[in-house]
Amino acid sequence: MATSAPPIPTHSSVRGIKKVQPLHPDTGHSFLWHKLHSLSGLIPIGAFLIEHILSNIEALGGPAAYGHQVRLLNSLPQVRVLEWTFIFIPLAFHATYGLWIALRGRATVNVYPWAGNWGYLTQRITGLIAFAYIIQHVWRQRFSGVMLPEHPGAAFAKVQHELHNPWMLALYIVAMIATCWHFSYGIWLFAAKWGITPGNRARKRFGQLCAAFGTVLCILGLASIYAFVGNPKFANAPADAFAPPAITQPAPAPPPPNSTNPSQPGIVQ
Amino acid sequence: MPSTIHVEILRQSTPDDAARTERFAIPYRPNMNITSVLGEIALNPITADGAPTTPITYDSNCLEEICGSCAMLINGRARMACSTLVDTLQKEHPDKPIRLAPLSKFPVVRDLAVDRAVLFENLKVVKAWVPIDGTYDLGPGPRQFPQTQEARYPLSNCISCTICMEVCPQFNDQTNFVGAATIAQARLFNMDPAGSVLKQDRLRALAGDGGIQECGFAQNCVEACPKLLPLAESISITGRDAMLQQLKDLFTR
Repeated sequence: MATSAPPIPTHSSVRGIKKVQPLHPDTGHSFLWHKLHSLSGLIPIGAFLIEHILSNIEALGGPAAYGHQVRLLNSLPQVRVLEWTFIFIPLAFHATYGLWIALRGRATVNVYPWAGNWGYLTQRITGLIAFAYIIQHVWRQRFSGVMLPEHPGAAFAKVQHELHNPWMLALYIVAMIATCWHFSYGIWLFAAKWGITPGNRARKRFGQLCAAFGTVLCILGLASIYAFVGNPKFANAPADAFAPPAITQPAPAPPPPNSTNPSQPGIVQ
Repeated sequence: MPSTIHVEILRQSTPDDAARTERFAIPYRPNMNITSVLGEIALNPITADGAPTTPITYDSNCLEEICGSCAMLINGRARMACSTLVDTLQKEHPDKPIRLAPLSKFPVVRDLAVDRAVLFENLKVVKAWVPIDGTYDLGPGPRQFPQTQEARYPLSNCISCTICMEVCPQFNDQTNFVGAATIAQARLFNMDPAGSVLKQDRLRALAGDGGIQECGFAQNCVEACPKLLPLAESISITGRDAMLQQLKDLFTR
């Protein structure tokens, strides 16, 4: 028909924005992956974060107490299987899928500076901080240097040496705050998106609860960092808290004057 | 208040033209809205430099925030031209020109008019209607409890203005997120005693790619919605329903 309007192009090249496509009903598996991403953040990763921070609190008791905690965790049955199944694999999935989610969003706080919008952006920023931090943390503390599963007594010294670098200390503090924020806001998001707290009041109250929980978790985490660097009692911790004490030779006494045989002091021949 | 309002409008003649900015100086009257500003320009389409131009093209119909046509970016924010008052904008940014631009996430047709077909496609995909064929008299519909009516009424206020989609950080060409309006309408018709016959279809559709799972709960939709729809609540409840449907399908379908 001559009177019909030309079709609207699928994208406006001038403004560089492609048209948003309509919903694809019943196609793809992104629903499942999103739900797994959301769930994995709480169980097992969030549960592990709580366990990790509570274990680190043992460091307040010194190198031996911390070493005992590391030995206890490494004596769990099939600990390597548990470690990969409930920590590394879910964490790798949550991190990579989360990175993909973050890269597809368009932050708009410059135009719409609202609390929820800031929360959206902060969840992505804290996630990226945690992503970068955890890669170096797992590599440097778990897979390189002294192997802690075999030498649990060396745990305190290993962390203390790491935090001796002020840049590392700053990174640990920032990452602790970011991770606790990401986890506690993630619990709130989970409850909101899974329909556990649909009402405005329920979401607000649960938000306060999550904020309190995150604050407590963060304080515990920062206290454990303090245990490694701030307590003068445990400064310069032994390389291995469980190593048998080295045999110390008494210093040889100086030979008396007029001694002819320094190896037999006191006997004048 | 100044006697003249300065307006900067981002214009383009065709969908593929380069965008350009035109400036206008309009005599101020009390209680003007953006619609009346655009009306003044149409009466006397001459730019601030004195060059003759064409009236601004934009979608509008009711002029009282009920048809949903005139959503645009006003000082960078998605708002309705009819219910945004010049006095409010002058208080927001005193002595600055008012900037008008088309919504940024929809293809421009001309000037401030954009193609918002994606919302209507989405409403069709989730079957946002009550299925009655209309070939014969079906008699009265099933009764609704007043509580259901009261819960549904705010959702029925949606004017399809697409502001909730424009302000959403997740609504973009990467995620192809369905947007809050469609989810709220799916819930509205899921709650209808007759419309709930299609509930499973709607929930399955919303679990497809670009579905409800893409929501990042920034809640900009709630803040920006001119009709104050309970959008976050709708996404929360519909998200739960969609997941329960998927679980049920996993074991029974």
